[in-house]
Amino acid sequence: MHLLLLTADQNTPFNYFPVALQLVIAIGFVAVMMGATHLLGPKRRTKDKLVNFESGIPSVGNARQPMGIKYFLVAILFVLFDVEVIFFYPYAVNFRFLGAEGFKEVVLFVAFFFCGFLYIVKKGALDWED
Amino acid sequence: MTAIIATTVFGIIMMFTGLFVDNKKTVSSIAAVLFVALLGINIMELSDATGPALRSMTLSLLGTADNTNGAFPQLLFNNMLRIDKMSMWFGTAMTACTALYILLIGKEFRKVGTHVAEYFALIFFILCGLYILTAYNSMLMLFIGIEIMSIPQYVLAGSDKRNLKSSEASLKYFLMGAFSTGILLMGITLLYGATRTFNVTEMVPMLHSESLNPLAISGIVFIMVALGFKVSAAPMHTWTPDVYDGTPTAFTAFMATIVKAGVFFAFLRLFHVSFGNISEHWLMILAIVTALTLLIGNVTAVYQQSVKRMLAYSSIAQAGFMLFSVLAVSSNIAWNGIILYGVAYSVATIGVFAVLVKMKDYTYDGFNGLAKKNPLLAFVTTIFLFSLAGIPLTGGFMAKYYVLLAVMHQGNMMWLVIFALLMAAISVYYYFRVIIAMYFKQGDPELTSEVTMGDQVLLIATTIIVILLGVMPHWFLMPA
Repeated sequence: MHLLLLTADQNTPFNYFPVALQLVIAIGFVAVMMGATHLLGPKRRTKDKLVNFESGIPSVGNARQPMGIKYFLVAILFVLFDVEVIFFYPYAVNFRFLGAEGFKEVVLFVAFFFCGFLYIVKKGALDWED
Repeated sequence: MTAIIATTVFGIIMMFTGLFVDNKKTVSSIAAVLFVALLGINIMELSDATGPALRSMTLSLLGTADNTNGAFPQLLFNNMLRIDKMSMWFGTAMTACTALYILLIGKEFRKVGTHVAEYFALIFFILCGLYILTAYNSMLMLFIGIEIMSIPQYVLAGSDKRNLKSSEASLKYFLMGAFSTGILLMGITLLYGATRTFNVTEMVPMLHSESLNPLAISGIVFIMVALGFKVSAAPMHTWTPDVYDGTPTAFTAFMATIVKAGVFFAFLRLFHVSFGNISEHWLMILAIVTALTLLIGNVTAVYQQSVKRMLAYSSIAQAGFMLFSVLAVSSNIAWNGIILYGVAYSVATIGVFAVLVKMKDYTYDGFNGLAKKNPLLAFVTTIFLFSLAGIPLTGGFMAKYYVLLAVMHQGNMMWLVIFALLMAAISVYYYFRVIIAMYFKQGDPELTSEVTMGDQVLLIATTIIVILLGVMPHWFLMPA
């Protein structure tokens, strides 16, 4: 303990010794626990236990099936608007401070964003039936 | 600065051209006009920057001093960008190479797929990333520049959607590229922890040789690995052959040349400006990476059966030579070396690819007897391959001379220079295999499209540039 307190004073690579110690303990703990449960616990493998758990509903088929790209496009569009909102929150908080200059920048950002949105709508990303 | 804005706006214009213009020929011509306009903007900006320098040079020749001090370097966006003459010169040179590429190969885009306008738009966006990489002054801009440059490339790699190899190239490039970006970010984080700044120049006083923070040195190595990945230096090169081979040939020509040279400029800028003072800590690692790149690139290229795949390995080998300019920390020729190498390598490789897209069969046998069928095509290919191999009187020779000279000035790297010369000798073998196939073997090579009058003029012009680079290299270097 004395050693650990001593090292905290100067800025040396040794400073990171507690972090390394923590890392070793964490990994060691996980390894010991996993090994212990594996060795000590009883093993009863039944067919029901080995099946994937899907909230009690019997699983149907393979999950890795190709599906419509449209779901993906909608998801990506959602992310785009999400990011736009992330930029708006800090701007709204600093609205007065940033003034006219800030307003100009945000309008520019929205304009670029709108160009992209217009493009993707014109390309037919949101046409569900085709 | 104007160039960065212009290329973004042009990219958006191209996107909307794709929506409203159906005729692909019109789209290509609009794109060509925009690229020439972009080149014009670059040259205008450059003449603003170097104008005073040129004037003072002539004035000093006349014996009068000139005290005009231009507003360069420009610092923009809270010191995030630092546009100096060198970065402008390089940006203009790369734009000129892109314009040449569009003129030579642009009409092949129509064969790749239906979204021709989007391909041009993506190339504009890649150029935007390149301009940022030539002028970044903050680690954040380095990251953003690399991302702007990489993401359109992932799309271009997979642009031939129905082709399994193209999709494979895209996925491989994306996964590996995203991983290397993670490493880059980790390196930037560690370096930030050590120096408390993202600024490229402000971190210099924080990095002392005597009391170097171990965080800083690991950060530098992480950044070296990530940038090494982007320029395909061994042992981070494994993605290169598959990606360059699977990508439609028209786009490989762009990815292997201008993009690579752009990342090299960023590499050089960071390692000379920021890490130059502590070079003894990383120089040996980079020297070993260089030696490995040269060895793996050249030796593996020998065993290839397809010319396209050979060119992929040759681009690894050429990256080894470009790494020399990064190694020459204390030499002031290094900057000129990378500009000359970037231009000479890009022009010659674009030329070879312009011929390659016309061939039906990409194997060496596909070139058999080309000299009989189309003497001009065979002749220009020979000159381009001479340049890549570094035969005197071509651009490749001068470029290799500059980068090796820079390392010689540095001193105590003689072993590497000798090794590089040996490897250059090996490279002659696989480049000349194509020439032998064209001139000394019998065959009837099939061309995918007619070699038009315009193609011939452009190919001859490219050849003249390659030779001018070899005899008048100072024309392409920035006037001091």
